[in-house]
Amino acid sequence: MTSPSPGAAGPAGGSGGHAADDLLASYAGGAVDGVLAWSVEAHLTACAQCRSNLSAHVDSERLARNRSALLVRAAIGDGGRAHRLLRCCGVPDYLLRLLAATPSLRRSWLLSVMGVLAVVAGEAAAVGYGWIPGGGPAGPAGYPAPAVLAPFLLVAPLLVLAGVAAAFLPMFEPAYWLAVAAPFSGVRLLLVRAVSALTAALVPAVCAAFVLPGPGWLPAALLLPSLALCAFALAAATFVDPSAAAVIAGALWALPAALLLAATDVPLAIVQWHSQSACAAVLIASAVVLFVRRDRFQLGWMR
Amino acid sequence: MRTAAGMSPVAEERDDAPLLRAVARGDEDSLAALYDRHAGWLTVRMTRRCAMPDVVDHAVQDTFLALWREAGAYRGGGDVAAFIWGIGVRRLIDAIRRENGARRRMRWRAAEPSVVISAEDQVLVGIEHGRLGQALAELSPELRGAIEATVLDGLTCAEAAVLLGVAEGTVKSRCHRARLALRAALTEPATGPGTPITRRQAWETP
Amino acid sequence: MSMNEHTEAIRVDGVSRRYGATRALDEVGLTLERGITGLLGPNGAGKTTLLSILATVNEPDAGRVSVFGLDPCDGAERVEIRRRLGYLPQELGYHRHFTVAAFLDYVAILKEITDRRRRAEEVARVLAAIGLERYARKRIRALSGGMRQRLGIAQALLGNPDLLVLDEPTAGLDPEQRLRFRELLSDLPGDPVIVLSTHQADDIAAICPNVIVLLEGQVRFAGSPSGLAAAAGGQVWSADDRDHRAHLSWRGGDGRWRHVGDRPPADAELVAPTVEDGYLMLSHAAGVR
Repeated sequence: MTSPSPGAAGPAGGSGGHAADDLLASYAGGAVDGVLAWSVEAHLTACAQCRSNLSAHVDSERLARNRSALLVRAAIGDGGRAHRLLRCCGVPDYLLRLLAATPSLRRSWLLSVMGVLAVVAGEAAAVGYGWIPGGGPAGPAGYPAPAVLAPFLLVAPLLVLAGVAAAFLPMFEPAYWLAVAAPFSGVRLLLVRAVSALTAALVPAVCAAFVLPGPGWLPAALLLPSLALCAFALAAATFVDPSAAAVIAGALWALPAALLLAATDVPLAIVQWHSQSACAAVLIASAVVLFVRRDRFQLGWMR
Repeated sequence: MRTAAGMSPVAEERDDAPLLRAVARGDEDSLAALYDRHAGWLTVRMTRRCAMPDVVDHAVQDTFLALWREAGAYRGGGDVAAFIWGIGVRRLIDAIRRENGARRRMRWRAAEPSVVISAEDQVLVGIEHGRLGQALAELSPELRGAIEATVLDGLTCAEAAVLLGVAEGTVKSRCHRARLALRAALTEPATGPGTPITRRQAWETP
Repeated sequence: MSMNEHTEAIRVDGVSRRYGATRALDEVGLTLERGITGLLGPNGAGKTTLLSILATVNEPDAGRVSVFGLDPCDGAERVEIRRRLGYLPQELGYHRHFTVAAFLDYVAILKEITDRRRRAEEVARVLAAIGLERYARKRIRALSGGMRQRLGIAQALLGNPDLLVLDEPTAGLDPEQRLRFRELLSDLPGDPVIVLSTHQADDIAAICPNVIVLLEGQVRFAGSPSGLAAAAGGQVWSADDRDHRAHLSWRGGDGRWRHVGDRPPADAELVAPTVEDGYLMLSHAAGVR
């Protein structure tokens, strides 16, 4: 420990109560310890001149490196409250950034989805509860007219499909070629995005279903058709062009659903157990196909 | 060394507060200027407490990022440097914990300890050649480290434990023994370098 | 970063690729070594297809490719190639809301740099290399075309790749930016294999010690720029007026007419051929207009 020179006003007396330059140099080099270090630090807290002099003894390349990294991190930002919340829950930062680039997880998309659901569900509720006259022929006792629920049941799974499609369709990934040429697993990226988009779309759909008149299990009955639809679209994307796969999936839902919904003698056929089983079968089959053909997503969908 | 336009590197103390306000408004150039002024001493001061340069680098970046987000918390009392250190030392502890693998982040307190630190520093600056300084110098390095962490840096025993790399109980007992030794050194009549008995007591460690 | 000691880092053997009735690549064979190689050819010559095959985003119909001894047709080896790859595609897309720093951060994640701080350091490094530090917070859609191009080059540099595949990197750059780009490529750490495509012969002359001429899906020349220029040796002449015996004539910067042709007239004032002259001779010989 260097001994302080006697009679100084500040640590180891420089001129006029400032630290001597060689003391600062020793301090910067880590050679000063103990009480003398404390008083140096205490002085630095109060004296801008000595802080500036000290900086001259610090590795300038290291300072510059941290400076540019700092400015980049400030430029990137931390993603906002949602990000911070998820990060506290343990989700790694890089996954959040990948998800942030997904169109169907952005605020604008989610708001649109909720808007559509609100309109469709609201209209169904209004008609179903009799606030607005309308609907079609009455359904069997205990069930609302199929025509009342038809728009919602048709639209909700399609909205979920749209959300997942936006997560994997190349047209929604502008940096598509970069993503393909990158080592980050395409399958992993796809799964992370698809699952997140699925959840983000399914939650408002199920919540909106609670508003509707009808049997209490209606919200739960939405799950399997939505999941089956998305899985089918993804599996089909390993065979045909992804955009075509999404459209085919959508059409394959819309047509039978419309037919089933028009059948007035079977209440809510679309969500009865036989339809649900069919959806479950499609879901399992698609999942198997997806697993077997997952390499297609590594090369990059182009053929 | 680049500085904000129009300001000389040796700016007056009071110019830091307007810089901080500019940072709070989201001015990136002010953040860079603040970095240019304060990163040097911050890096050295952190290095004295943590020997791993990567961890210190991360902590320095995190400190200025925290300033970037929370510059509005500065209430204008006390040195800006003390405010920065209050943030910085906790960022350093977070960085050490991350390095050690702890997953949950410790919530850091707002920077009110800056007032405490300033007062301590005022005292310390004055006592270097006095009896308290002598007594402190006679403490063993471990006890001095415990005092530095809890008094000078204003950390809790839990935070100090992370910084020093020991158990929390060890920190508490070291602080206790240090206080006893200091009290003993300060209450005995001034005889010079201190009696041999006191010195032996001060140097005892587990 | 183990690499066998062959000088040829990339080997392409008999590669063909067709799109419907069009033959984009026809039995292409070449080798690439460490250093810069320029791929010269007109639009539609197959440069983009060849580069996309090297960048593992496309597969050939026939033939074999070997990148650092790895086979891009094998799944695991393909990922390994991608770890050492930096790619600038012909059309660089970006999410509309991205800032420069956020975009580079995104690409860095795709390159498997998962640690936040390491990513920031890497992004800062390439921003400094390309001279865009001041624009870190700007939205990409607000950048000019030349700056976007530089951003594209910056993202390719992330992670210090061993293989840089750049599709028309100098398009949209003004002469000063081209100069800096040339300096940048020469200063890259680690001496990577760089292959870039262009249809401007003066880029080749200035940057590339090796050049490959691709015409209608076939390699017509592989060698040095001076070798390419020599292909037009003794067949380039200058005159005050236009000479109709030449294949090609144009007015040069000095006001005189420059001619490239098979049979220079006896009284012709022969001039030293440039890389562009050699390229034009080859194009004409291949029947390409």
